[in-house]
Amino acid sequence: MSMFEDIPVDVGIIYEGERIRWPDAYVELGGPRVEHKFELVKVRRPEEIEDGKTIIIGPDIKDLEKKSYPFGIYVEIAGRELEEELEGVIERRIHEYCNYIEGMMHLNQRYDIWIRISKRSVEKGLDSFIYIGKVLQRLFKSELPIIEKIQITFITDPEKVKEKFEEAMRTYEERDARARGLRDEEVDVFYGCTLCQSFAPTHVCVITPQRYSNCGAISWFDGRAAARVDPKGPIFMIEKGKCVDPLKGEFLGVNESVKSKSGGEITKVWLYTAFGYPHTSCGCFEAVAFYIPEVDGIGIVHRGFQGTAPNGLSFSTLADSTAGGRQVDGFHGISIEYMRSPKFLQSDGGWNRIVWLPESLKERVKGFVPDDLLDKIPTDKQVTTIEELKAFLEEKGHPVVKRWEAMIEEKVEEKAEEREAVRPLGVPLEAMISPEGLRLAPGGFRIILKNVKIHAKKLRIKKVEK
Amino acid sequence: MPKKEFVIKIKDLKTDIGILKDFELSIGKIIEEWEEEAGPTEFPTIKDLREWDFKLLQRYRPFYMPFCDVCCLCTFGKCDLTGNKRGACGLDMSAQQSRIVLLACCIGAATHIAHARHLLEHLIEKYGSDHPIDVGGINVEVEAPITRLVCGIKPRKLGDLEDVLDYLERQVTQLLSATHTGQEGSNLDFESKVFHAGMIDQVGMEVADIAQIAAYGFPKADPDAPLVDIGFGTADPTKPVILVIGHNVPPAIEIIDYLTENGLYDQVEVTGLCCTAHEITRYNPKAKIVGPISWQLRFIRSGVPDVIVVDEQCIRADSLIEAQKVKAPLIATSDKNCLGLKDRTNDPADAIVSDLLSGKTPGVLILDPAKAGEVAVRTAIGVAHKRKKFKAIPETSDIIESAKRCRRCDECRRACPNDLPIPEALAATIEGNLDELSSLYDECVGCARCESACPLGFPLHSFIVKAAERKLKEERYKVRAGRGAIQDVEIRRVGGPIVLGEIPGVIAFVGCANYPHGGKEIAEMAMEFAKRRYIVLTSGCAAMSAAMYKNEEGKSPYEIHPGIFDAGGIVNVGSCVANSHIAGAVIKIASIFARRKLRGNYEEIADYIHNRVGAVGVAWGAMSQKAASIASGFWRLGVPVIVGPHGSKYRRMLLGRKDRKEDWYVYDARTGEKVYVGPTPEHLFYAAETKEEAMVMIAKLCMRPNDTTKGRSIKLTHYIDLHRRLYGTMPDDIHLFVRTLADVPITMRDEIVKILEEKGWEQNIVPDPTLLPRLIRRRG
Repeated sequence: MSMFEDIPVDVGIIYEGERIRWPDAYVELGGPRVEHKFELVKVRRPEEIEDGKTIIIGPDIKDLEKKSYPFGIYVEIAGRELEEELEGVIERRIHEYCNYIEGMMHLNQRYDIWIRISKRSVEKGLDSFIYIGKVLQRLFKSELPIIEKIQITFITDPEKVKEKFEEAMRTYEERDARARGLRDEEVDVFYGCTLCQSFAPTHVCVITPQRYSNCGAISWFDGRAAARVDPKGPIFMIEKGKCVDPLKGEFLGVNESVKSKSGGEITKVWLYTAFGYPHTSCGCFEAVAFYIPEVDGIGIVHRGFQGTAPNGLSFSTLADSTAGGRQVDGFHGISIEYMRSPKFLQSDGGWNRIVWLPESLKERVKGFVPDDLLDKIPTDKQVTTIEELKAFLEEKGHPVVKRWEAMIEEKVEEKAEEREAVRPLGVPLEAMISPEGLRLAPGGFRIILKNVKIHAKKLRIKKVEK
Repeated sequence: MPKKEFVIKIKDLKTDIGILKDFELSIGKIIEEWEEEAGPTEFPTIKDLREWDFKLLQRYRPFYMPFCDVCCLCTFGKCDLTGNKRGACGLDMSAQQSRIVLLACCIGAATHIAHARHLLEHLIEKYGSDHPIDVGGINVEVEAPITRLVCGIKPRKLGDLEDVLDYLERQVTQLLSATHTGQEGSNLDFESKVFHAGMIDQVGMEVADIAQIAAYGFPKADPDAPLVDIGFGTADPTKPVILVIGHNVPPAIEIIDYLTENGLYDQVEVTGLCCTAHEITRYNPKAKIVGPISWQLRFIRSGVPDVIVVDEQCIRADSLIEAQKVKAPLIATSDKNCLGLKDRTNDPADAIVSDLLSGKTPGVLILDPAKAGEVAVRTAIGVAHKRKKFKAIPETSDIIESAKRCRRCDECRRACPNDLPIPEALAATIEGNLDELSSLYDECVGCARCESACPLGFPLHSFIVKAAERKLKEERYKVRAGRGAIQDVEIRRVGGPIVLGEIPGVIAFVGCANYPHGGKEIAEMAMEFAKRRYIVLTSGCAAMSAAMYKNEEGKSPYEIHPGIFDAGGIVNVGSCVANSHIAGAVIKIASIFARRKLRGNYEEIADYIHNRVGAVGVAWGAMSQKAASIASGFWRLGVPVIVGPHGSKYRRMLLGRKDRKEDWYVYDARTGEKVYVGPTPEHLFYAAETKEEAMVMIAKLCMRPNDTTKGRSIKLTHYIDLHRRLYGTMPDDIHLFVRTLADVPITMRDEIVKILEEKGWEQNIVPDPTLLPRLIRRRG
């Protein structure tokens, strides 16, 4: 029997993208025209709530008119495995589940929700919040068995919405403060994700409170919830183990876990740097941090950027240099949220080492760039070539400029070595056809070639790395 | 780099180390190498990928449906091959059927390759062999994914493509030779050669399209390519109208250039049918598409076109006769389609125009595109006022008169590929009711076989067109001009969600217009899947049919859905040859996104696509041999193809057997273990009888062994939902697609869990799937 036999409208993932335009709407709940609206999940003790109960405070759907109403969805849950830290993750499912209901559109989250119910669905019988409550309760319990009891209250009474709205705002703030404040040092476990292994077979994402997954979609809290709900799934717990290097971010537990999950390919990971043993890059990272040797700094380019970085490379090319689960010195696929973290490339100098990023990306993260650096980091609007980049950094006195002097000295030494070490991999064309290149046995002999005809059916020319 | 021979001759050279006398070094070919390492199968011969083909054919066994029971290809015959009989040469029925499929695919591949050769020669002559190949600027670095995959070369300039064509032409010759009496004897080897024909066909299409994109400046992988007019009613009949039909665009380009250079563009309408129509709108968004191939007769007979210019492929063989009926001069422009006309290529344009205007000749053959362009324009302007849109469409009174004389012999209906009730509809007109006749228009494929069959010689197709006159005039829609390739950055964005299964599938509606119930079914299917957040691609005639639909706001699908390669997009890549970008996109998912080596690495890329990329091709109106070879190119890549009911006349399907558990094992690349993955995808080539059957099958064939649990639950939801909506029941094979309970769509959990229990379902693991043992990774 269908789970939703008693619900007058269909419920399914296929309604997720459904948009309800105002002419087709029966009512609007929340949305930009009302001040007070919210949705909130609270963890309770089992005895505090009644499982399966739906409470409606204020008029029910059938008694509403076609206009916008203040609105609140207040979900209370209980279960042995539940903890306050998971409230936010669970709350985000409200959006997903409401959208499964035919003729119900749910946008945004928290204090910003915007819901419409279609005329057609109300005509079909979706005239009470009781139905919506039932759907949410069943979906929550079905997908998250850690929820043992669930009670939902829908509020349309403006006074009551306002009252609970304040509670909700307080809760969001506390939650955010806790999340922002949570440091990697304060937890015993990180989370790992191997979802991307189907295209990056050796990639293991390590998710910490201060390092979002590369794709930007999974926080430490999300990881915690997912690992608890489905311990055998692609997201799992990592005992972080002994910290070997707090600056670079090397943890023995992480090394061990990554080694086992990457089939032995990756044995060591430094979480807070783009150099040495950087975190592997999957294929869906939001941005790439890449080393620019000419200025000894790090540039960042994000997925949506259509142009090229000062080194002439596009996101696509840069992504190509690191994607596929590889650990590439100087290239690092990252999430944008990670750029807001105090651990962001901390071992490399953090923002002090960032020398370029696209304007649109800078706009998104500018609240997290130290004030004195903000104008010293150019974007695509200011520089387009390495020369311009150098000049800009020098003029603005970017912190990397100080590193240059040291670099020049090193380079002189390196160059001398290079000449010895680098030998051509193939014979260049000019060498082959010049008489010198035909020396067959050097020294002591003179070779005379007469009436020689050489015919090469094909000649492959391979560029030699210089 | 030039392909020419490179020769050094040294008569007499004395140096410290030696003396050279009469030294000669010659090099046949110089190949500029590129950074990627050479793969195992560059320029594969007709047998090099046989092992991979057999892997697929073992799972998707050919199921033959003889369209003809005898073989009459040699003088031993006719040989009856029914039962277990063998012909005089020893061949049995299954080998004969696959041999005919191979012949069809060779014809298809040869057509695209010859098209590419013809086009490329023209473009090199006009733009030079050093003209760079740019198909998408900075957003497309992998400019020729199929060519790189198959040939292992990276073409930089137009001239580089000549080597590719040399290879393709050799392959077609070899393949064709295998169909000679007393050559290949095994049906499976014939099938492997069919796959080879399909593969080289894809390369040929790619060569043609990237060459024309680069040279003519067609939209370069542009998701916002302009919206252009399509429909019978979009051409302004008050102006001289030029109609171009076919696929090979140079003459049509020259028409547009001549008009533009002489400031005449606003005075003349340039309209097109079939793929040349796509190409002209890619060149100039003011040009108009009349419709798919099936609009040929109706548009010519309407008298609207003043001059008809035909190039090659899918052009009616009676186009000259039809043109004469409406007194429209015809210009043939391809040596593959001379129509018996006199070759006037070397005559002065003035003389040709004068002969066409005076009616001295009904048509000419001009093999110089520029001259054809000039003659077409000048003739159209000269003839328009004389013709006064003379039409070959009867009056209503003629229809009624004929209806009274009709003997109801039913020959027309029997001849109709769609079994349309023509006699009944005609009879209804006696009462003054033209609605029935008009309603036939929606399902008519425009073949006019009814007319040939009619013992009284009634122009029945024209009757239908007349009855539907108003509908025709209202045919005004928008289609997005063919955008060409998919950008590398788009691939990066959607690669993850596709491979993980969160974008439930990539569905390509391609092929001709031999539809069972009209083109609107294409539009309906495309809209339904775009609404469900699949990525929908279109090309060729199907791309046109997909446009011919309006919602309540009067918007057509391309206006409702964006042209991006992303969930919910409807993406017109362009003409037949632009089909290569569809294959190119799935290849790029494996190579750009998942970083599998591309160069000459066919087997591994195909294995990746087959196991991970939920792509399905739908050729709902597949008609031609080209459609057959296009489909076979997708099979070799492991991409399933669904055809409409007429597609069953391709003589064989490639059907999986979900009841044979042993067929559905893959290796887990992590451990080397063999893992049962269920019938994913269940078939490689499938003919659906109805739109409803096709839609359910599309959703089902998008499942892949690699789907994550979330992805699988999304794909299952669509499959089950469509099955319930369209058949009214739950599918009976759900248990085969559930690997762990997390695969079960949460909104259907209770009922599916119950089904699983009834079926004795057992939990399984989700492997890192491959069919190739060499891809098993060793544990370090």
